[in-house]
Amino acid sequence: MAVSVRKPDMRRRTIAGLLFRVGTYLALLLVVGPALWVLIGVVVRAVPHWQWSVLTTPTKGTTGGLENAIIGTLILMFGVLIIAGSTGVMAGIYLSELAKPRRNGKPSGGLFRTASDVLSGFPSIVLGYCGYVALVVGLGWGFSLLPALIILSIMVVPYIAKSTESALRQVPNNYREGAAALGMSKGYSLRKVVLRSAIPGIVTGLLLALAIACGETAPLIYTASFTDAIPSASLIHSQGFAYLTYPVFTFYNQPAPEAHYLAYDAALLLVIIVLILLVSSRLIVARTQRHSESQGR
Amino acid sequence: MTDERGPDSINASRVQPERLEPLDPVLQALDPDRGRPEDVVCSQRLTLSFGPKTILSDVDISFRRGTITALIGPTGSGKSTFLRTINRMNDKVVGFRRAGDVTFDEQSIWSTHHDVLTLRRRIGMLFQRPNPFPMSIRDNVVAGVKAHRIAKGKQLDVVAEQRLREVGLWDAVKDRLGDSPFRLSGGQQQLLCLARALAVGPEVLLLDEPTSALDPVSTEYIEALLATLVPALTLIIVTHNLAQARRVSHQTMFFYEGALIEHGDTEELFTHPKQADTERYVSGRMG
Repeated sequence: MAVSVRKPDMRRRTIAGLLFRVGTYLALLLVVGPALWVLIGVVVRAVPHWQWSVLTTPTKGTTGGLENAIIGTLILMFGVLIIAGSTGVMAGIYLSELAKPRRNGKPSGGLFRTASDVLSGFPSIVLGYCGYVALVVGLGWGFSLLPALIILSIMVVPYIAKSTESALRQVPNNYREGAAALGMSKGYSLRKVVLRSAIPGIVTGLLLALAIACGETAPLIYTASFTDAIPSASLIHSQGFAYLTYPVFTFYNQPAPEAHYLAYDAALLLVIIVLILLVSSRLIVARTQRHSESQGR
Repeated sequence: MTDERGPDSINASRVQPERLEPLDPVLQALDPDRGRPEDVVCSQRLTLSFGPKTILSDVDISFRRGTITALIGPTGSGKSTFLRTINRMNDKVVGFRRAGDVTFDEQSIWSTHHDVLTLRRRIGMLFQRPNPFPMSIRDNVVAGVKAHRIAKGKQLDVVAEQRLREVGLWDAVKDRLGDSPFRLSGGQQQLLCLARALAVGPEVLLLDEPTSALDPVSTEYIEALLATLVPALTLIIVTHNLAQARRVSHQTMFFYEGALIEHGDTEELFTHPKQADTERYVSGRMG
C-alpha cells in the first residue's frame, strides 16, 4: 500500500484504521458464520433421510411424519398474526400518533411503554407457566390451541408495538404537515400518507414476531403440550395441540434414529418457514416502497 | 388583471370546486367575489405565544382579497407563526396560546362556523421544503381532491392533468405520472406541491418561504406563476428574500421582535419606510 510512514502520526492513524476495519470484518464473520453453520448443519442432516411422506403422515409416538405439527404451526402463526398483529400495530399507532405529548414536549404513554417493556422482558417459560396455571388449569381449557395462541400473542405484542412505533416515528413530519394543510383528517392522513411509508418497518416487525412465535417451545409445552392428532377445529378441550418445535426439542433425546430424523426434518421445515417469511417481507417492502423517498434518489 | 372568468385553466380551477361548496349558492352563481367583504382574512388584536414565550403581540391587520401580501422580517420575528395560525396549523402545538382573533370571511376561524378541515381546504399552504407524499405523481396531485371527495374515478385523471398544466409541469411529467415524485428536481417537486394545493380549490394560499430551498431559475418561474394566481386567489407569502417581496407582492408587512412594525403598499414601504426599523431592514442594514 502506498501509505506514507514518514510521520509517526500518519502511521498510528493507518494502524488504527486497519484495526477498525479488521474488527468490523470479524463482527461480520460472527454474524454470518453461525447463520450459515446452522443452515448447512440442518440441511446436511435432514436432506439425506428426507421422505416426502413426512408431510402427509401424522406423528405416531416418535415415528411417523409431521403433518399434524406442520398444520399446527401454520395455524399458530396465522392466529398470532391476527391477534398479536392487530393488537401490536394498533398499540404502536397509539404510542406514536395518538398519545398526547406531555407538557414538556416528551412523548407520553409512559405507563403503556413501561408495561410493554416489562412484558417483553419476561422469560417465555414464565409466561407459559402463567398460561398453564390460569388458562389450562384455572379456566379448565386443557392443553389446546386457544391458551397457546393467547400466551404466544402476549409474548410478541411488545415487539410488534415497538417496531410499529419506531417505524411511524421515522416518517418525516412534513408528510403529516402537508396532509394536515390539505385539510386531511388525522385518520385519513394516517391511512393514506403516513402508514404508507412506515410499512417496511411494520412488516419487518411482524415478520420478526412471527419468526419468534413459530420458533418458541417453552410456552407451548405448558399450554399446548403435544398430540399425534391432526389439529381439529376446537379452540379448547382438544387434549393437546401439535407444533414443529416439539419434535425438535424432545425427539432428539430419543434413542431411535427415526426420532432423530424427524427432529431434523422439523428443524428444516422451521428454517424453510422462516426463509419464506423473510422473502415475502422483502417482496412486500419492494412493492409498497416504489414511490418512497429513498427509492427515488 | 380583471376578475372576468375566462376559459383559461386558472379561473376554471376556481370555479369547479366552488360549485360543490353549499354556502351562498346565489352568490356563487354570480361573481363569487361580489358582495363579499374586500378583506378576506383579518386579525384582531392577535397575540400568540408558546408556553411562557410571547411570539407575536397585538397584531391588527387585514388581507385584501385577490392580492399578494409579503410578510418580511428577521428570523424569530413571528411572521411564520402568524402565517401558520391562519390555517390553524399551530392549534395542536404543545403550549400554543392565543388571545384576540383571526377571521376568515368575517367569521372567526376558531368558531364552529368553520370546520378545521374545510378551513384548510379553503386556505391552502405551500411549505419551505417541497413535501410530496410517498405516492405516484398523479396521486400526489389528487391527494387532497380524494380526501375531500371533490372528484373520483376518471375525473381524477382530468383534475391531475388540469392542475399539472396550470403549474406548467404537465409536459415534463405526462409520460411518468405513475413514477415516484422524488425523482423530480426540487423546483419540480415544489410545483407538484403547488398543483396539489391548487387542486382542492383554495381561496387563500399561504406560502412559507416557498422558494428558499430552490435554485434561481425555479424561483423566477414560481414567482411568475404566483402572479397569475391573483386575483382569483389571495396569496400571503413569508419570505426572507427582500427582492422577492418587492417583485411579487402588492402589500408588504414588516414584523420585528414579535410586533407588526409597519405595513403598506410594497413600493411605498420599500422606498419610503416610515419607521426607523423598517428602513434599517429593507435597506439591508439589519437582518
